[in-house]
Amino acid sequence: MTVPRWLDERLALERFRAKYLGKPFPVHSTFFLGEIALFCFVILVATGLYLALFYEPSAQLLQGHGAVPAAYASTLLIDSHPFGALMRRIHHWTAHLMIAAVVLHLLRIYFTASYRKPREVNWLLGLGLLGATLAASFAGYLLPFDQFSVTATAIGYGIARSVPWVGSTLADLVFAGQFPSSATVPRFFAYHVVWAPLALAGLIAGHLVIVLKQKHTEMRRAGAQPEAAEGAYIHGIPLWPEQVALMGVLFLVMLGVLAALAAFLPVHPSAFYGPPQPVTPEVKPDWYLLWVYGALRLIPGGLSFKLFGATIGSEVFGAMLVPGILSLVIVLVPWLDRGPSSLFYTEPPMASPLRLALGLATITLFLALSLAGFGAELGLSVPVLWVITVVAPVAVGWAAHALARGRLGPLGGAPG
Amino acid sequence: MDRRRFANWSLKAGIVAAIAALLPGVVTLRGRSRTSATRGVEPGDRLVFALGGNAGEVITEGSFTQNEAVLAYPEGKSDNHENLAMVCKLDPARVQPPTDMAGTAHGIVAYSAICTHLGCTVRFSEEPMEQAPFPHIHCPCHGAMFDPQHGSTVLGGPAPRPLPQLPIKLNAKGEVIVAGPFSAPIGVKA
Ligand code: HEM
Ligand code: FES
Repeated sequence: MTVPRWLDERLALERFRAKYLGKPFPVHSTFFLGEIALFCFVILVATGLYLALFYEPSAQLLQGHGAVPAAYASTLLIDSHPFGALMRRIHHWTAHLMIAAVVLHLLRIYFTASYRKPREVNWLLGLGLLGATLAASFAGYLLPFDQFSVTATAIGYGIARSVPWVGSTLADLVFAGQFPSSATVPRFFAYHVVWAPLALAGLIAGHLVIVLKQKHTEMRRAGAQPEAAEGAYIHGIPLWPEQVALMGVLFLVMLGVLAALAAFLPVHPSAFYGPPQPVTPEVKPDWYLLWVYGALRLIPGGLSFKLFGATIGSEVFGAMLVPGILSLVIVLVPWLDRGPSSLFYTEPPMASPLRLALGLATITLFLALSLAGFGAELGLSVPVLWVITVVAPVAVGWAAHALARGRLGPLGGAPG
Repeated sequence: MDRRRFANWSLKAGIVAAIAALLPGVVTLRGRSRTSATRGVEPGDRLVFALGGNAGEVITEGSFTQNEAVLAYPEGKSDNHENLAMVCKLDPARVQPPTDMAGTAHGIVAYSAICTHLGCTVRFSEEPMEQAPFPHIHCPCHGAMFDPQHGSTVLGGPAPRPLPQLPIKLNAKGEVIVAGPFSAPIGVKA
């Protein structure tokens, strides 16, 4: 592509084109996970802008409409528009896909040790993105203000309240007072359509600028130059036109898949759940929070102690200590891993048996806790679930370690 | 003090002062609802059905049969979720301490309907279970179980403490009347 002379004389675009449009992009299917997350954000903004045209952020009861809250009524109104229900469902399905893509992206970075120096900052920004995505989703969940939404938010409120020492103040600050009450919906609307998207946009921008500056890692090929070799260069396809073409195809495929999901699988049918009621339905959280739910069910009520005047009870263990410790360890990964850093190359997942084992064990722990969320349905008692939760991660980690070492020799350091 | 140090120092002091000035603003995030302040239960309130076709109607001794329970609000105070109570009618002979016996009448006992674990609305069931071969209260969220015949002590699951009891009495017309405040703070306690 060449920049027209007229434009170039005025904006000096040729320099920009030469510097950035030829950027090499190493190709691997897992390198698209971050891009999928980015496109999800774009689709969420687009569909969200449409929803915001009709949505009414108010829990006020409407007179003469069976006294349902305005927010709920406006959600049903959106559903009744031509394409309105489709828009809502695409928005909801895309939120699921975005969380899944961010999580898988994180796993890709982890298992290829791409978080090592100098990329620790982007590891942290990435985790910030995961947190902001979950927060956006949590706030969005309340908005339709049906029975299901209100139950989910009420549990979040309960968890905030149970924080030792500062719980009730914290819950009041975040939920704008007691929940359920009428002040929470406008507050969550502001979080959802202003604060969270701004935070996400800022974090995404920082994340991408850093990738641009630090360059992408690539798979080490046979006969690749050692790290510091003069004139080492990245193997990949140029941004324009090859990478842009791939991105365009990916975006359109995603849009097609999401539209098909939305058309055939009615996610979050508000009319079916009905307006909020004082009773709590038999519900489970979405897949990405099942592990917290499982942990809450596993920890018995008797487990509690007093500390500086606060009671550290089962809900603190289940909803704060377990997720808190897991999150802290994940944040610290780049500093816990003392392996040699690589500026250019990803490391094969099997190259470090310990990293592989810990990663798979952690995934298994998340899955086992999620399984505990289905204990009652599966007829598994709490003690049995405890055994699974402890034994499965250890077994998986040990097996992975043994396999990786067996394949790679006792030192496990040879490239795979 | 030279000019450079003065400029440096005043910049830092300015930043600290600006942040300190913003802090009180954080408190306003606590929010206030536009509707009139919600009221708690008071002795003398009549209990009314919270749900269903007869929502708002006064609950009387004859409204339900033994081993049945209904969700109730104090009359006119349904806008405060913390007022939600579960009124159970049990076999009078089997209601025992630690239930506050003075706050029961003819086997009718009332508890807060808000789970002490994370605040879901609890349910009543007379179906005998392994842990509770008698009518019991359970929570659909994480499976807490309470024994309404014994002051709703925790039978199992993650709930940290019993459901607070709401003392009641019956008036001459057989209506269920609040006799005192809840025996403990409602819902999740930090
Ligand atoms: C600028 C960006 C966004 C805007 C303007 C926006 C707007 C909205 C609006 C108005 C609603 C309420 C209407 C409804 O519930 O159907 C909503 C719901 C929702 N939003 Fe967003 N949103 C945005 C981004 C996001 C993001 C980044 C996520 C999460 C990753 C997300 C997840 C959700 C969820 C889970 C719901 C509930 C959907 C449902 O009703 O089934 N949104 N959004
Ligand atoms: S909220 Fe009742 S058991 Fe968790």
